[in-house]
Amino acid sequence: MGYSMKATVERATLLKCLGHVQSVVERRNTIPILSNVLIEAEDGGLKLTATDLDLQVVDSIAATTDTAGATTVSAHTLFDIARKLPDGSQVSLDVGDGNMKIKAGRYSSKLSTLPRDDFPMIAESELPTTFSLPGGTLAEIIDKTRFAISTEETRYYLNGIFMHVTDGKMYAVATDGHRLARMTLDAPDGAEEMPDVIVPRKCVAELRKLLDENEGDVEIGLSASKIRFRVGTAVLTSKLIDGTFPDYSRVIPTGNDKLLRVDPKTLAEGVDRVSAIATDRTKAVKLTLDKGRIVLSVTSPETGTATEEVPADYDNDGFDVGFNARYLLDILHEVKGEQIDVHLADAAAPTLIREGDNSNALYVLMPMRV
Amino acid sequence: MATELPSASASARKIIHIDMDAFFASVEQRDDPNLRGKPVAVGGAKARGVVAAASYEARVFGVRSAMPSVTAKRLCPDLIFVKSRFDVYRSVSQQVREIFRAYTPLVEPLSLDEAYLDVTALGRPATDIAGEIRAQIREVTGLTASAGVSYNKFLAKLASDQNKPDGMCVIRPEQGAAFVQSLPVKRFHGVGPVTQKKMQRLGIETGADLAERDMAFLRANFRSSAEYYYRAARGIDDRPVRASRTRKSIGAERTFFEDLSTAEELSAALDDIIEIVWERIDANDASGRTITLKMKFADFQQITRAQSFAAPVADKAVFAKVGRELLADQLPVPKGVRLLGLTLSGLVGAAKIKTPKEQLSLGIE
Repeated sequence: MGYSMKATVERATLLKCLGHVQSVVERRNTIPILSNVLIEAEDGGLKLTATDLDLQVVDSIAATTDTAGATTVSAHTLFDIARKLPDGSQVSLDVGDGNMKIKAGRYSSKLSTLPRDDFPMIAESELPTTFSLPGGTLAEIIDKTRFAISTEETRYYLNGIFMHVTDGKMYAVATDGHRLARMTLDAPDGAEEMPDVIVPRKCVAELRKLLDENEGDVEIGLSASKIRFRVGTAVLTSKLIDGTFPDYSRVIPTGNDKLLRVDPKTLAEGVDRVSAIATDRTKAVKLTLDKGRIVLSVTSPETGTATEEVPADYDNDGFDVGFNARYLLDILHEVKGEQIDVHLADAAAPTLIREGDNSNALYVLMPMRV
Repeated sequence: MATELPSASASARKIIHIDMDAFFASVEQRDDPNLRGKPVAVGGAKARGVVAAASYEARVFGVRSAMPSVTAKRLCPDLIFVKSRFDVYRSVSQQVREIFRAYTPLVEPLSLDEAYLDVTALGRPATDIAGEIRAQIREVTGLTASAGVSYNKFLAKLASDQNKPDGMCVIRPEQGAAFVQSLPVKRFHGVGPVTQKKMQRLGIETGADLAERDMAFLRANFRSSAEYYYRAARGIDDRPVRASRTRKSIGAERTFFEDLSTAEELSAALDDIIEIVWERIDANDASGRTITLKMKFADFQQITRAQSFAAPVADKAVFAKVGRELLADQLPVPKGVRLLGLTLSGLVGAAKIKTPKEQLSLGIE
């Protein structure tokens, strides 16, 4: 018995929905069906699903369904077609005889399909913890931590954002061993007893994309092994990283007595400018602290040197400290306010950075020897 | 002839050349009592290795540095091979340099085990100073050093070699020319086997023979080196002791006791050279853009092959890899190789490159 399905959808709606799901699909797949998107036509709408076995996105859109049914076709091909169809066109999807016919105006194509029953779904299971967070808050948590997520696969337990609740506070933490970023917020109702979880980087990235288009609250459900985000019409389900996040609290310095206050934008621009001459892959910038100012400098054996003076509020002993310019910029770019407080101890000790008007964000940055 | 030239005078400099005796081997004997009094060779443990340094007990048998281990073992069946420990040699070398610097800032190290000192400004007999330094080296490091005292670097270096090991030799200004002229020319720095043969053909065996030749003759036969030989034969050398030499290159080369021809022999020899050169690079906190392989064949034909990079080579693995590739390009060699060298040039000194940049870790595991 062949599968059939027939539905018509607005091109823009289809494109947006495919945009949500297609990035989950890996470009190279050894299992053919993982290249496909599952399309399910129901009364009044279509449901599109993409998966990489660890992460699954389901998005629902309005459509006119003539024949309910389901099939799978190449996600990237369908996305490419939808992208190139003229704006405003109505796209009809008609499945029969192992193919899906796509028609829009004078355009028509036929894509081969794979049966929907072969499409793997992440098993629905009970998610005992449920709570909700405003989309904006969730986006901020991600923005202020994700840059510090490690990409080192051997330390897989650092390849995500660690979330835990302690004493009524929810913490989101990421580190790559050189720097650490942490956001703190009051634990939302329902999250008090949640297990510690490590949300994988890819899930974080997909979630962040969905948050761009949805301002509303995000419903979150989780267990010790899975997490689910309901963002607007989309539902993102991800396996969690099965590992133990290290005890990070001991690397957050508490006794750094040298306080530097500086405008993050001025500092970021200066760091960016002086590091332009650096040719190394890792650009090291030296900060020479002096009363009332800092001097940024970069020395490159090939190109030469660059310095820039940045006005700063500093009233302690002068000294030099080096940082990876990119690490510094990653932090500075996420600061929206007009002041950061940099708590230093010495040129080889963890440096604590806080935002002047946002006590929720905290960054720890390890210096470079320069 | 020497009297015609201004050399010996009351305002002569006081230069000391200190040379540690069989340095690497002596450090090994110091640290392992089982090696004391026995023939020891540092390095060359590998099947096709080359001796890096030999103890005096081994030298009695004719074992020399740069000799293939096989040959060394044949000459001295009881020879004990020990692995080199450059970190130890370097720290001992540092101790010795501190002793020098307590006397004068004018210290010019030539390698880990030898240095020139200019003690003119101290106003004391240089012989006393050299004696004190040797005593202190013995006390601090437990090792012996030989010293040469004279009025220029050329003579001081010749002098330190005169009464080795654990000896001292003073060449006073009025003795300089005569001393040089009494030596066979092969003892002169810069007179290698080729030049030596050439001089022999021209009837020059000793410093005296050399001193008899006039400048025109020397120019005709030795071109750019003529002036050096002319002055050397008269005990003249105006080169100052430079506390911080600005080096143009850092390298090392080995002349082999027996010509090498197989890939294994050459690779093993190159690996030893890589170790030595990298130690020097490391000790100088330098890096450079050009790596040059030098090869001299049995017939004295010489080739150099270089590779340059946009960025300074700051990594031993890269340096070693490039060196091996340069060698691999020459394999198989058309004839026996008597000398192999590897040099890093286009140097970016410590002052410019600073200490290697290093991202520190938070210590999260």
